[in-house]
Formats: sequence, structure tokens, C-alpha cells
Amino acid sequence: MPNASDTERPPPSPTRTAAPGPRDVKGTRQALTVARAVKLVAFVAGAVLILSFPNMAPNPYILSAGVVVASYACTATAWNFMGGFTGYISLGHAAFFGLGAYATGLLIRDLSWPPFVAWLGAGAVVVLITIPVGIAALRVRGASFVIVSIAFVLILLLVSQAWKDFTGGSNGLVVPRPFPDLLRPEHHRVFFYLFVALLAVMLLVWWVIDRSRFGAGLKAVREDEDKAQALGVPTRDYKLVAYLVSALFTGLSGGMYALWFGDLDPIFQFSILLGAYMVLMALLGGVRHLYGPLLGALIVGGALEYFKLEYGDTQLHLVATAVLLGVVVLFTPNGIIPAATDLVKRFGPQDSSIREMTAAELLERNENEARRAADE
Amino acid sequence: MSGSLLFQSLVLGVLLGGLYALLAAGLTLYFGVMRVVMIAHSAFLILAAYLAWWFNERTGLDPLLSLVVTVPLFFLVGVGMQRLLITRLRPATLTMMSVLLTFAIALFIEGMIGFVWSGTQRRVQLPYSGSNIEFFGANIAVVKLVAFVLAAASLGALYVLLKKSRFGQALRATIQHREAAQLVGIRTDRVAALGFGLGLATAAVGGTALALDATIYPSLHWHWVGPLMAIIVVGGLGSIPGTAIAAMVLGIGQSLLQVELGTTWAQTLFYVALFATLMLRPQGFFGGRLAQRF
Amino acid sequence: MSDPDGLATEGLTKSFGGVRAVDGATVTFHQGRINALIGPNGSGKTTFFNCVTGMIRPDSGTVTYRGRDLTGRPPHRIARAGIGRSFQLCRVFPRMTVLENMLVAVRRTRLRELLVGARQAEDIAKARGLLVRVGIDHLENVEAGNLSYGQQKLLELAGVLMGDPETIMLDEPAGGVNPALIGRIGTLIRELNAEGRTFLVVEHNMDLVMSLSHHVVVFDRGRPIAEGPPAVVREDPRVLEAYLGV
Repeated sequence: MPNASDTERPPPSPTRTAAPGPRDVKGTRQALTVARAVKLVAFVAGAVLILSFPNMAPNPYILSAGVVVASYACTATAWNFMGGFTGYISLGHAAFFGLGAYATGLLIRDLSWPPFVAWLGAGAVVVLITIPVGIAALRVRGASFVIVSIAFVLILLLVSQAWKDFTGGSNGLVVPRPFPDLLRPEHHRVFFYLFVALLAVMLLVWWVIDRSRFGAGLKAVREDEDKAQALGVPTRDYKLVAYLVSALFTGLSGGMYALWFGDLDPIFQFSILLGAYMVLMALLGGVRHLYGPLLGALIVGGALEYFKLEYGDTQLHLVATAVLLGVVVLFTPNGIIPAATDLVKRFGPQDSSIREMTAAELLERNENEARRAADE
Repeated sequence: MSGSLLFQSLVLGVLLGGLYALLAAGLTLYFGVMRVVMIAHSAFLILAAYLAWWFNERTGLDPLLSLVVTVPLFFLVGVGMQRLLITRLRPATLTMMSVLLTFAIALFIEGMIGFVWSGTQRRVQLPYSGSNIEFFGANIAVVKLVAFVLAAASLGALYVLLKKSRFGQALRATIQHREAAQLVGIRTDRVAALGFGLGLATAAVGGTALALDATIYPSLHWHWVGPLMAIIVVGGLGSIPGTAIAAMVLGIGQSLLQVELGTTWAQTLFYVALFATLMLRPQGFFGGRLAQRF
Repeated sequence: MSDPDGLATEGLTKSFGGVRAVDGATVTFHQGRINALIGPNGSGKTTFFNCVTGMIRPDSGTVTYRGRDLTGRPPHRIARAGIGRSFQLCRVFPRMTVLENMLVAVRRTRLRELLVGARQAEDIAKARGLLVRVGIDHLENVEAGNLSYGQQKLLELAGVLMGDPETIMLDEPAGGVNPALIGRIGTLIRELNAEGRTFLVVEHNMDLVMSLSHHVVVFDRGRPIAEGPPAVVREDPRVLEAYLGV
């Protein structure tokens, strides 16, 4: 009977009515409206820019690079369902990407499912596999969790390389194209929009969770897991759900990639590096923010693709990724979005952020505002 | 499986387990003194192996001699890493962020090895590379034996250092209870730095031992990360005897399975052990009750 | 003396590497009263506390509450059974605002209720009411990490109250706070007790314990050695021995 205390709603505490918080005050509300308008404009501008990218891309190479960046944005955002909300950093999310990709390919090849049905089926497969893995991995916290996440991707790499009959091993697995009639640029264009649509769904889900009670519980886990549990948050179940959602979306991104790219190799699907990219992108942008991973993916993914086009595959992209990750971890572990917001706040019209305001100042401000509101 | 083959695998397993034990001891040191899971440990291992190969290539001398340079060098790098990088992380998120930071270091080393020496597979050629010793009917490659002796000697030296010396005492005190150690006047930050240096020194020894016997390439370290991480979790994070036992057991297990299943599937043993440990005894099988909280 | 409705332990035992931190503790707390748990440092109070609240799994023994066996249940189950707790070194979510801290404690289990926005008017009203009660309602939009230690303690208590616990376990509520605030916390505890909430307080401040509690349990070496009303316990030779070693 875990919800015994839920059903019997207690009588409201016999207290005075709450003092009006600053949220209810007119001045702040205006500031909020302005902020909201700025956000809306930025959102529309960003969406238009992204959606018009295929038309602006000068050649199919750039266009395919755009598809890759879009897939990075999907994986980084998917990763953030776990990493951002709960603070559990998984370095092995490439496991879900690879599982989604291989499950899609194999469902098409061996069971002749239609491509997008197979894609959805792959999502279900990923979730089914993730349940026991998640239960095992979430029995431990912090570092042990990271170890398990790395172990999971390494084990899948081993198995997919060794089990040649099933996965094709290092010879690769060819996934039939879902739209055989399309020319290559058109193919890229369609998949760019498919990835963007998938990303939009993820962002919407992220937004819903972020403002929900469930999200509040997850964020409490990130801040202090023992404390959250003591307050009655069923932390294990919450973490598992976040893990499953994260795995599902990562798997769907992988499946989409399989349909687009059409050729799978264990080395690239179950790659530690891919998992590292997800972490880097999300951290760089800011794990607490809806658009953090997307922004990180645009920067890191854009840079990766640029260097690949200019210089081809060298070992230096490893070095660059490593240096960037190290810099982010050491200097901006909260990402560039909070850093930028702080900067704007410092030079913007508002004098200081709430973070730097002492309780006394805040009290004074609230009182002043309340007085002003009463005068009007 | 015939008896002699079984015995042969057993002996090889012990030899392999010795190397695992040495490397896992290093990982345990980092975790003990700083609560840091050092993903880059095996990258340093491979780096040391490359240095040994390169030393041999350049001078024609025995790669074992490279230890004279690499062990002090790695020790200093370890101290520097702890002083300059790890201590910069916020204590609240130290464990998580240190994983990322050392992961970045691992990628960096892998990238630099590939950049400097290219991705080609390398192998040290020694006059005694092909020779074997007959040991109660088992055929043991001399290089494997040398590697084991090296690992065992280092592990023994580490043990004596930790048990007998003043520094070892301070180090163990720091591992067990950092605050209490500070209260009795131990400079735990300095101890932590030295512990890090020692840990990295084990990678130098292990890498040289590895170079005698293995074909090396830049991304090889990922094949070591998984098993080593599995060993320290199975052994119980923070317990050196625990990890040594786990290393031996798993090393022998891998060696025995290899005969039946081949190298790749035999490696999955580590992951099976890892997941089994988490399900049955998340705090590890041999002492060490830190695991669950970190 | 035994109260079938109250919180009780039977032979509770927990060892850490050979040291028995809690050693066969059988204790019954008085429902509806302010119970205090005292004892010298290292007597196992906090371990006992953590066993009862599910943070630590006891090696043996049972924890029962209102006739239900709660032994080894995870902390959130125990919280949902109606036992709220604070932590020894006060713990709040430092990077959430005061109000967000309060809203974490809202308990819902149905999916629809979980996915609805966290800032429901009824929850906010309730949270504000409690913040007014502990006296930090003017700080609701401040990040909890920026509060003073005393304010954090008050926030922690308000957060516990958000879950409407019948029994509240406080681990050193007066530890590290100034005398004025100790008085305020004492008054709050009395008021809440008058509303029918049971308290179990681990505390070192003897003045507070003696003035506040109805029933005192004294721990030494992992088990209760004496219990009774404060005036009686204070005179008990076994208690003096445990504290002073005479």
C-alpha cells in the first residue's frame, strides 16, 4: 500500500494565506512576457533555419553532413533523458544506438518487415533488452554505473563481431533502403526531415517531463538521491523509466541511421567514441536545458563533419574530441547555455541574477514590489 | 579437453591473472585515494607498451630496459595529473566528472599514439620471442613468464611498500578514512598525489610486460578497460586483496574458456561476472563496501 | 507500555566489518508523543535511525510501524508509510529553489498525475502554507544552496511536512544552529506534536531534549540501556555511567 498517504488528503494546514511571491507581481510578469517573446522568436528562427537547411545546402556532401549532425542531435538529446535529468552519466549509450540499428536491419532482412515497422519494432527490442540491463546497472551509483555502461557497449561490440552469422560481423550488414526509387540527394533530404521530426518528438517529450512532477523527482535524484528517497520519491523506478526512455530514443536514432546509411559495421555502431560524442555534446550545450544537447550537437557535430570533409579521417579528431571534453569537464561542466545566460544577465538590464541576491535583498525587493503593486 | 591442455591453460591463466592483478591494483589505488575511476589506466598501459616497443626499435636493447625511464616518468605524470587536473574538479561531482576527464585522457592518448606511430599493428621482436619452457608438461612462452615475474615482483614491492613503510601506512589510512587521516596529521593531498603516481607506475610496468608478448595498436586499450573495470567491481571497489583475487579468478577463467570458445567469447566472462556481481552483491565479492555509494 | 500502533524495533542489529553499530536493539516509541533518542557519540543512534528509515538494511531484527513490518523496505516505502525524516547534516537540494524543494515531496503514483506540470496550484498553496509556518516563505524563489544553514534546516523540516507524515524522525535538529533558532525549532516541534504528530528526535542538546520530550530512550553500544520520562532518565545511574564513564 504505497499510496495510502495519497488517498487520504489531509486537511489544509491552519495557516495564514501565503504572501504573494514575486511571480505574481506585475513588473516581473512583464519581464517574463518579454523573455517569452524573445524565446518564441528564437524558436521560430531556429526552426526555420533548420528546416530550410536542405534547400540551402550547396551540394549532397554538405547535405549528408547535415543528416549526420541531425542524427547526433537526436542521440545527444536522447542521452540527456538519463544524463540530464538524473545526473547518471552513461558513456555506453552507443550500445542502444547499435542495438536499434542492428534490430532494424535484422527485422528487415530476416523477417522482411516493412522498413518503418521494423524501425518501431527495433525500438521495442531495445526497450526489452534495456530493462534487465537497467535493473542491474541502477543497483549501483555514480562511478560503478559508468563502468557498467561502458561494459555494456564493449560486450555488445564483442558479441556483434563474434556472431558473424547473425550480424555479418565486420563484413557489415546491408540494410535495404526504404525508398529505393529516390536519388541520393533526395534520400538525404527525406532523412534529414525524418531525423528532425524524431528530434522534435524528443524535445516535446523532454519538455513535458521537465515541467512534470516526474521530472521534479528525477531532478531531485540528480541533486541528492538519498534525500529524494527519504521524501518518498521511488528513485529506482524513476531512474529506470528515464533510462528506458533514453534508451528507446537512442535506439530509434540508431534505427533511423541504419535506414539512412544502409550499411552497418559493429566497430562504428557499438563505438565508445559515439557514446563519448553524446556526452560531450550534451555537456557542452548544457544538460539541464532543453536545447543544450542540440546546441552541443550543432557545434561538435558541425566541427567533426567539417574536419572530416577538409582533412579526411585522421587520428586528430580523437585528440580534438578529447581536448574539448577535458576542457568542458574542467571549465564549464554546466555547459555553455548557463554560461551564456549568466553573461547576458551580467550585462543585461536586470542588475543581477537571483543566484547572487541575498535573502535580505530579495525580501526587500519583494516588499517593494508588493507595495508598488498595491499602489497601482 | 585433455589434462595437459587443461593444465597448460591453467598456468597461462595464472600468468595472465598476475598481470591483471597488478593493473587492477593501480586502479584500486586511484579509487582508494581519490574516489576516481581511472578510465585512462589502460590507455597508459598501451602507451607504456608503445614506449617499450619504440625503445627497442630505436636502440635495439631489451624493451625491459625502458622501465628505467617509463616507471619514473609515469609516476611523475600521475602526480601531475592528480595535482593539476583531478583536484580542479568540484568535490560534489568528483567521481562522475573524473570518469569523464580520464575518459578524455584515454581518447587523447589513443589519438596521439595513432598520430605519432600510426595505426599499424606493432610487435616487439626479441631473440627469445619464440622460445618456450617446459613446465610439468605445459609449454610456457618465456615472454609470458618474464611478464608474470615482472608483474608479480612489482605487486610484491607494492605490497611491501603499503604494509611496511610510513608512506604506505599514510596511504592506507587515507584510503580508509580521509578525514580521520587528516586529523592525525597526514597530508592527504600529498598522499593522494603519490598514490596516483604509484598507480600510474603500475601501468608502466604492465605495459612493458604486455609489449613483450602482444601485438599492439592504438585502440587496444578498450580491450583492457572492460576486463579491468569488471575486476575492480567484482573485487569490491577499493580493496587491493579483493581485486587481486578477482583478477586471478577471472584471468584463469578466461584462459580456460579460451580453449573451448575462442578469445572473443572468452572475454565475455568478465562482463557476465560484472553483471552477476551487480545483481547478487553490488558491494563486490571480496571486501570493499564502497562500491554502492560511488 | 508497548503500543501496537507505534514505531517499534525488535532485536535490530547492524554490523560494519565486525563492529556491531546496532546490537539487538528492541525499542518501542510512544505514538503521539515526542520521543528523544540520546546517547554518547558512537552509541549507534544514527545507524539505528538509518536502519529504521531504510537507508541501511539491518542484518537482523525487525522494524514495525502501526502493525506493519517495514524491515528492509526501501526509504521511499517507509516515507510513504507515514514516517518522514531529516538528515544529520541537513540536506536540501542545493540547486533547486526553495519552492521546488518543497514540490519534490509531493507524492503521486498515477501516470497522469506524474506527467502533469510540477507547479500545480494546490501543491504550491500547500508548500507556501508550510513555508509560512516555518518562516521562510519570503525565500521561495531563492536557490536552497544560498540559504543560511538555519534556513536550510527549516526548509528541510517544511519539506518533510509536505508529505504529511504522522511520525517525524529528526536527526539532530538543533545541531549547528544558533540558540534563537533552536527555540523556534522547539516551538515548531511542540506545535506539530499538539496536532497529533509523533516525533522521534536524536539530539545532543540536553536542554532541548529535557524540555521538549515526553519519553527519552538512552542508547549505549548499539542498544537501549534506559528509558522513561526525562526527569527519571536524567537521574538514572546507568545513563550517568554511559555518558561520564563513572
